[in-house]
Amino acid sequence: MADTKNDNKRRSAYLLVLGIMVLLPMSVAGYKLYVLDYPLAGLIPAPSYNVEVSMQVDGHGEDINLHTYLPRSDSRQTVDNEQNNSGVFTAEIKTEQLNREASWTAENVRGPQSVLYAYSVRARHVRFNIPEDLAIPESYPAALAGYLIAEPGIQKDDPEINAALRSIVTAEKPTILEAVTRIHRHLQDNIANRNFSGYTDALTALKLGEASCNGKSRLFVAMARKLNLPARLVGGLVMQAGSKRTSHQWVEVYINGHWVPFDTINDHFAEIPANFLTLYYGDQVLFKHTANVNFQYFFKVSKQLVAQPDTQSALSQSMLNVTNFYAFFERVGISQNLLTILLMLPLGALVTVVFRNVIGLETFGTFLPALIASAARDTGLLWGMVGFLSIILVSAVVRRALDWMQLLHSPKMAIMLTTVVIVMMAITVGGVHMGLFELAHMTLFPIAILAITAERVALMESEQGGMKVAKITFMTLIVIAACYAVMESLFMQSLILAFPELLLAVVAINLWLGKWIGIRVMEFLRFRRLILDAAK
Amino acid sequence: MRSLLRFFTDLEGTRERAAKVLSMNRRNLHFVYTRNDRKDFPIADDKLLAKEVLVPAGVRMPETYRVYSYFYELNDLEKDLGAYHDFVIKPAQGSGGNGIIVIVGRKGPDWLGISGKVYTAFDLQKHITDIIYGVYSHDLGDKAVIESRIVQHPVMAELSPLGLADVRVIMCDDEPVMSMTRIPTRQSEGKANLHQGALGVAIDIATGMTTNGRFLGQPIDKHPDSGIPLVGRTMPYWPEIIALARKAARAVPLKYLGVDISIAPDGPLLLEINVRPGLEIQNVNDRGMLPKLQEITQHGAAR
Repeated sequence: MADTKNDNKRRSAYLLVLGIMVLLPMSVAGYKLYVLDYPLAGLIPAPSYNVEVSMQVDGHGEDINLHTYLPRSDSRQTVDNEQNNSGVFTAEIKTEQLNREASWTAENVRGPQSVLYAYSVRARHVRFNIPEDLAIPESYPAALAGYLIAEPGIQKDDPEINAALRSIVTAEKPTILEAVTRIHRHLQDNIANRNFSGYTDALTALKLGEASCNGKSRLFVAMARKLNLPARLVGGLVMQAGSKRTSHQWVEVYINGHWVPFDTINDHFAEIPANFLTLYYGDQVLFKHTANVNFQYFFKVSKQLVAQPDTQSALSQSMLNVTNFYAFFERVGISQNLLTILLMLPLGALVTVVFRNVIGLETFGTFLPALIASAARDTGLLWGMVGFLSIILVSAVVRRALDWMQLLHSPKMAIMLTTVVIVMMAITVGGVHMGLFELAHMTLFPIAILAITAERVALMESEQGGMKVAKITFMTLIVIAACYAVMESLFMQSLILAFPELLLAVVAINLWLGKWIGIRVMEFLRFRRLILDAAK
Repeated sequence: MRSLLRFFTDLEGTRERAAKVLSMNRRNLHFVYTRNDRKDFPIADDKLLAKEVLVPAGVRMPETYRVYSYFYELNDLEKDLGAYHDFVIKPAQGSGGNGIIVIVGRKGPDWLGISGKVYTAFDLQKHITDIIYGVYSHDLGDKAVIESRIVQHPVMAELSPLGLADVRVIMCDDEPVMSMTRIPTRQSEGKANLHQGALGVAIDIATGMTTNGRFLGQPIDKHPDSGIPLVGRTMPYWPEIIALARKAARAVPLKYLGVDISIAPDGPLLLEINVRPGLEIQNVNDRGMLPKLQEITQHGAAR
C-alpha cells in the first residue's frame, strides 16, 4: 500500500517537473519575443571574420619597437577572441582617447622574429539618411574643435583647395546634404582612383586629379572642415578572405549628432558596408617601427558564418530583460567560442541519448560522442574522427604489446595514456610541418577527452574482446557525426544562443525519454523473429 | 524479406507481437531499477557477498577454499594451493565468465587447466594479481576467490562436453519467468556466455524439458561441435533447480534477477546471481517474456 502511495507521489513530481521544463522555456521565449520585441532576424547567422595581423622583422642585436592600432568594439562592430602570439616581444595594449594602441618591444633582437595578433570581428552594414533641409550649424561644442582645424596633410585653408571647393559647392549657404553630396560626387567622379600605397596630402590629391584612399579622404576632410563641418579620417581594413597588405581610409563627417561615413573610392555615400573594420580615427600611421629592421606585415582574413548573440546583448538595455546573462560572461572574458561549445553540449548529449535509447547503438560513454564532436569544432569533423580512430588504434596496439610483456594493470594504463599524449603531440607537430593547420588544433581539450577514451577502450578490449571494441568504435563514430551535425548547425547554435532557456526544453525531452519503454530500433532487428513471425 | 513485408501489411499484428517482447528500456525502468534497490546491487555483483547472504539461507553454493585480497598474501601461494587437487580461480566481481581459470590437477610442479593448458606457480600468481588489480571488474581492485570445482551431472556432461554449462532462471517477485541452459562451445572458448558464442537451449519451466536451441543468433537443434541432439531432453533435478532458484530469490532483497545454477551429480548448486540478466533468453525461447512478467506482477498486486 505504501508503495502505491510513493509511486503516486513520484508520478506527480515527475509530471510537475516535466510541466515546468516545458512551460518555463516557452514562456521565457514568448516573453522575449512579444514583450521585449526580440528580433527574429537575430536567428540568421551572420558573417564573422577572423583577422590575423602578422608582422616580421630581422634583428641585428638592436632593441625593436613595433606599434599599430587594434580595433575596438562599438555599436557597429564586435571584436573578440583576441590572441597575442608575439614570441620574443612583450605586448602592451592601451586605449588612448578613441584609439586602441598596441606596441610590442623586445631587446637585443637577433634574426627573423615575428608578432602574430589575431581577433574575430562581426560588423553590421550601416546607412544614414541625412535630412534634406539640415543647415550647417554656426558653432559646435568645444570638444569638436579638433575636427575643424587644419593639419599638415589636411590644408583646409589653402587657396587652391578653397577655389576648388567654391566651384564644387556653389551655393552661398548650402544645406549639409547638398554640401556632402557635391563633395562626395566630385571626389568620386572627377578625381581618379589610384592604387598607390604612399602618403598623399589633400593639396597633392587635388593638383594631381588622382589619388588613393588616403589622398581623397584628406581632401574630403579639408573641404568639409572649410565648410564648418567637423570631419575626421578613419583608418581600417576591408575584410575579404585572403592575405593582403593594403589597409583602407575613409571619412566621417559629424552630422546632426552622428559621425556619418563616406568612402569616395568605393562610392559609399553616408553608409559603411559590413566588411569594413575600423582600426583608428585621425590622421595616423597604421604601422610604426624601429628603422632598418626589414619590417614586413600582412593581414590574413578568413570568413565564416556564426550564430549571433549580439541581438541578445542589444536587448540588455531594456529594464525588463532579466534573461541576458551574456554580459556577465563578457565581463570575465569568456569567449563566444567557448560559450557556444558549453551551450551546445546538452544538445550533443541529447543526440547521444536518442541514438542509445531509441535507436539502440552502443557508444563509449554517454557524453564522449558529444565531447569529441565539440573537440572536432577546431579540427573539422573528418580530422576529429581521424584523431579519435588513431587514439583507439594506438591504445589497442600499445595494450597488446604491454600485455605481452605481462605488466600490472595501473602502470600499463599510465604507459598507454603517455603514448596517447605523445601521439597527439606528434600529430600536432606533424600537422604544422605539413601545413595542415586543422591538425595543429588537436590541442589540450581533445587530448584530455581522448586520454579518457583510451582507458575505456583498453578496459573494454580486455573484457569483451577486439571485435566488440571495433563494433562500438564504428557506432560511436556514427553518433559523433550526428552530434557534430547538430552541434555545429548554425541554426541550432543561433536558436540556443538566442533562447538559452531552451536548454530546459532539452531537459524536458530527456525526462520524457527517461520514461520511454518502447523497443529500440536495433532491438526490433534483434527480436525480429519474435515480432514479425505471424505464428507467434 | 517476406517477414519485413509483413511489418507493413500487418501493423496491428506486429504491434501485438512486439508488445510481448521485453525491451531493454522497459527491463531497466520497470524491473531492474524499480524492483531492485541500488544499494542491494553489490549482492549480485560480488560473489563473496552473495555467498555471505545465500549460504546461511540454505542455498547450496561451491565451497570457498581461499580468498586473496592483498598482494602479500600471494607469497605462499604454491603451498596454499598445494592442499587442493582441483579448484577454480574467479574474480569476486567478474562478469561474463571472464577471468576464470579451472584447474583439474597437477602436472609435475605445475598445474593443469581444464583445457589442457599448463600453469606455472608464477602464471597463477600473475593471474591472481591481475584479478586483485581489477582487470576483470569494472571497479578498481577486486578479490580473487579460490573455489571447489564443480563436476557436471552426466546428462549435462553429455550435452556440454566443452565446459561447465549453467542453467539461467529469470526470477521476478520470487517466481520463475523463463529459463535456459547455456552450453560452452569451441566458439565461446569454454565460456557459458551467449555473446561470446555459447549455445543457448530453452527449458520449459513446467516440465524441465528442452525446447529450442540457438547458436550465434540462429536456431539450432544439435550441438555445433558434438552433434548431440539438444531438444526434447529433460533436465536432471529440475524441481530441485526451481526450488533452489526460489530459495535464492527469497533470500535476497532483489526482486528481478537472473539465477545461474550448475548441476552436479548430487544436485544443483547456485553459481551466482545477476541483477541485469540479458534479454537474449527471449530469442532462445523463441518467445517474448513480457506476458509472463505481467501475469506475475499483476498476480502479486492482487495479493
